[in-house]
Amino acid sequence: MSENALTFDNVSAGYKERVVLDGVSFAIAEGEFVSLIGPNGCGKSTLLKTAAALLKPLSGTVELFGQDVRHLKPAVRASLLGVVPQKIDSPMAFTVSQIVMNGRISSIGPWGSPSPLDHDIVERSMIYTDVSELRDRFFTELSGGEQQRVALAMVLAQEPKIIMLDESIAHLDINHRQEVLQILMNLNREKRMTILLVSHDLTLSAGISDRFLLMDKGALIKAGTPAEVLQADLLSRVYNCELRVQQDPYTGYLQVSGAQDTLRRRRKLGKTVHVIAGGGSGLELYRRLLIEGYEVTTGVLNRLDSDAEAARALNIRAVLEQPFSPVGSDAISEASTMIDAADYVILSSVPFGSGNLVNLRLAEGALNNGKTVLLASDIAGRDYTEGKAALALSKRMLSAGAVNWQTIPELMSMLQQHHTLNP
Amino acid sequence: MLSSRGLPPLQAWKTEAMKQSSTSRVCRDNSFTSNQPQKARLRIVLFLLAIPLLLALSLLFGPSGIGLPDMNSPAGGAILSLRYSRLLMGMMTGAALSASGVVFQALLRNPLAEPYVLGVSGGAGLGATISILAGSSVILSLSLPVVAFVSAVLTLMVVYGIARQGSSGQPSVYSLILSGVIVSSICSSIIMFMVSTASVEGLHNVIWWMLGSLQPVSTGQQLLSLGLIVSALFGIWLLSPRLNALALGREMAHYQGVHADLIIVSGLLCATLLAATAVSLSGMIGFVGLIVPHVMRALFGPDNRRLVPLSALGGGTFLVLCDAVARTIMAPVEIPVGVVTALAGGPFFLIILQHRMKQAWIA
Repeated sequence: MSENALTFDNVSAGYKERVVLDGVSFAIAEGEFVSLIGPNGCGKSTLLKTAAALLKPLSGTVELFGQDVRHLKPAVRASLLGVVPQKIDSPMAFTVSQIVMNGRISSIGPWGSPSPLDHDIVERSMIYTDVSELRDRFFTELSGGEQQRVALAMVLAQEPKIIMLDESIAHLDINHRQEVLQILMNLNREKRMTILLVSHDLTLSAGISDRFLLMDKGALIKAGTPAEVLQADLLSRVYNCELRVQQDPYTGYLQVSGAQDTLRRRRKLGKTVHVIAGGGSGLELYRRLLIEGYEVTTGVLNRLDSDAEAARALNIRAVLEQPFSPVGSDAISEASTMIDAADYVILSSVPFGSGNLVNLRLAEGALNNGKTVLLASDIAGRDYTEGKAALALSKRMLSAGAVNWQTIPELMSMLQQHHTLNP
Repeated sequence: MLSSRGLPPLQAWKTEAMKQSSTSRVCRDNSFTSNQPQKARLRIVLFLLAIPLLLALSLLFGPSGIGLPDMNSPAGGAILSLRYSRLLMGMMTGAALSASGVVFQALLRNPLAEPYVLGVSGGAGLGATISILAGSSVILSLSLPVVAFVSAVLTLMVVYGIARQGSSGQPSVYSLILSGVIVSSICSSIIMFMVSTASVEGLHNVIWWMLGSLQPVSTGQQLLSLGLIVSALFGIWLLSPRLNALALGREMAHYQGVHADLIIVSGLLCATLLAATAVSLSGMIGFVGLIVPHVMRALFGPDNRRLVPLSALGGGTFLVLCDAVARTIMAPVEIPVGVVTALAGGPFFLIILQHRMKQAWIA
C-alpha cells in the first residue's frame, strides 16, 4: 500500500472575488503517472498553484506526502515537489547553467555556496535533459523548446519526489517531446517519481498515464484509467465539440481525435439556417454554425441587442426592429421571406415576452410549411408572456414535429444527420 | 543520499559529460566567448586591482591643485585629511546607491528600477528636507538618516499600496514603476514648495544639500551611516543567491523553495535603507543607482552574488572619481558632483552598454 503523494480534500481556491476551484477532491498515490486534462481555463493551472502552496485554498486541505502544504517550510516543500511552469522567462542574461543551479537554491544554506555535490546534480540534470551543450548560452536566447528543457533540468536538480508539469511539453519538437516523456517515464518507473502532467495531447497522455483526471469549470468531473475517462461522449460534452475515441489496432492505445468529417466540412454546405435569438443567446449558435459551414440568417432582433451586434460583426443577414419596440409588420414580412429561404429554423434559448412572441409564431409558420424547426428545450423557464402563450405555442409545435435540442454539440450532430439523410 | 533519488548514478554520466563538454567547447562559436567563466574571472581580478589605484588617484585632486599637498605644512595635512573624508563619503554614498539599484532591478526584474524611479529617494529627500528646515543642527545630523529612512519606507508603502489597487494579489512591475514615478514627482514638488517658502537661514542648508555634494558631515553621522550601509550591504549579500532565483519571477522562486515574499520585503527594506542613508549623507545624487548596476551587470554578468559587492565597490569608486573632478575642474568653485556623474559618466557608460548590453539584459 503506497503512500499518497498528493491529496486534495474538498479544496476550493481562487483569486480575489473569483473562485476557480470548487470543492476538488482526489488523491495521487506515490509512483503514479497522472495526466490532468480539461479545456482551457478550467482551473488546471490553479490546481497546480494550489498544490504548490502558491495559492492558499479558500477551504479544504492540500497534503503532500501526508503533510499539509501550508505548514511545510519552503525548502522542505521544494524537496518534495517540483513544478515546471508553462513558461519561464528571465529578463537578465543568466546562462543556462546559472539557471539550472537555481534548482539547488533551497539546498544551499544561507551562508554557503554550491558544493561539489550540487554541481554534480546540476551537471546530471543538464545531461539528462540534453541541455549541457547549451550551458554557456544565454537562457533568453534559446528557443521555446530548449527553454522548456532547461526548466525541466532546473526542476530535476531540485530532486523532488513529485513533479508537476504545466503544459510544459507543448513547445517541444517531436524528437524532444518523446525524449522528455521518456525521461519522465524513466523517472516514474525506475525511481517511483510521481508525475502530474497537465496535457492537451490526450492521445499522447493516454499512452503513458496510469490515470487521468478530467476537469471542467473548476470541478473534477472524472478520475480513472485512460479507458474510463476517455469516453467520446464525456469528452465531447466537456470540450464542447465532437470528438472520437478509437483504439489503435497495433498498440492498443486510445486515440482521441476530432471527428474527421467535422474537419473536412470546411467548405460551404449550401445549407441555410435561420436563427431566432436575442439577448446574447444566439452568439454561440452563430459562431458554431458559421464554423461548420452553414449560411446563417437571423431575426427578428431589436437593434442594439447584443445578438444584433454580433450578427453585424459576423456579417450575418438579420432582420432588425427599433430598440425596445414590438416587432412591426414590415419586419415580420421580411423575416418570413428569410425563413422561407432557409433550410432549418433554430430557436435559441431566448426568453419570450409579448414583444418577441411573434418570432415563435414565425417559426410555427415555417413548421407548417414543412421546414425543420429545432427548439431549445425548457422554454417554460423563460416564458414571460401573459398566460404562458410561448409554452403553449411550443408544445403545439413539438406535437406538430418540431425537435427539441439541449446542447450545441448535440444540435450540430442533429443538423449533420439530417442533411446527410436529406441532401 | 541525495544522488540515490531522482536520477541515475553520476558515474554513468560522467564520461558522457566530459565528452559532451569537450565537443561543445569546440563547436561553441565566438559570439559567446563573453559568457565564459574564465574571462569573467580575469575581468573581476583586473577590476579589483584597479580600484585602489583609482582611489589613490582621487587623493591627488583638489581645489588646491593636482598632486599631493605639501605634507610639511599644517595646511597640507588638513587638505589631505579633507580629501580622505570626501573619499569615505563618496565610497559610502556610491556603494549605497549602486547596491540599492542592483536590488531594485533584481526584485522588479526591470532595467528601469532604481531608488529614484520608485519614489524612495524622493521620499527620503522629503523627510530630510523637513528635518533640515525644522531641526537644530546638532541632533539633526544624527537623526537625518533615521528620518530619511522612515520617510522612504513610508513612501515605498504608499507606492506599493497605490500599485496594488486593482491588481489581484501582487502589483505588477509596471504599476509599481508608474506609481513610483508619480509619487516621486509629488515629493519633489513638495520639496520645491518648502524651499520656496523657507526662511533664509534654512534655505542655504537645504539648497546645498539638495544639489548633492560629498562635503563631509559630522563624524557621528558618518559613523552611523557607515554602520547602516555596511549592515544593509551585508543583508543584501546574504539575500543575493535568492535574488538570483527571483530573476525567474516570484512564482518560480516559490516553487524552488525560496520564501519569495520574505526575500522581496527584506530586499526592499535593505535597498531602501541604503538609498535613504545615501540621500541623508550627500543629498540628491542621481544617475549612480541606475547606471552603475547596469554597467557592472554588463561587465560581470547578472549573478547577484558577485554583482552586489562589485557594484558597491564600483559605484563608490565612480562617485569618488567624479567628486575629484567636480572639486578640481573649476577650482576654487566646486560644481555639484551630480553634474559630473551624468556629464562624464553618461557617455562613458553608454559606450560600454552599447557593446555589452546583451550581457546584462535581453530585451
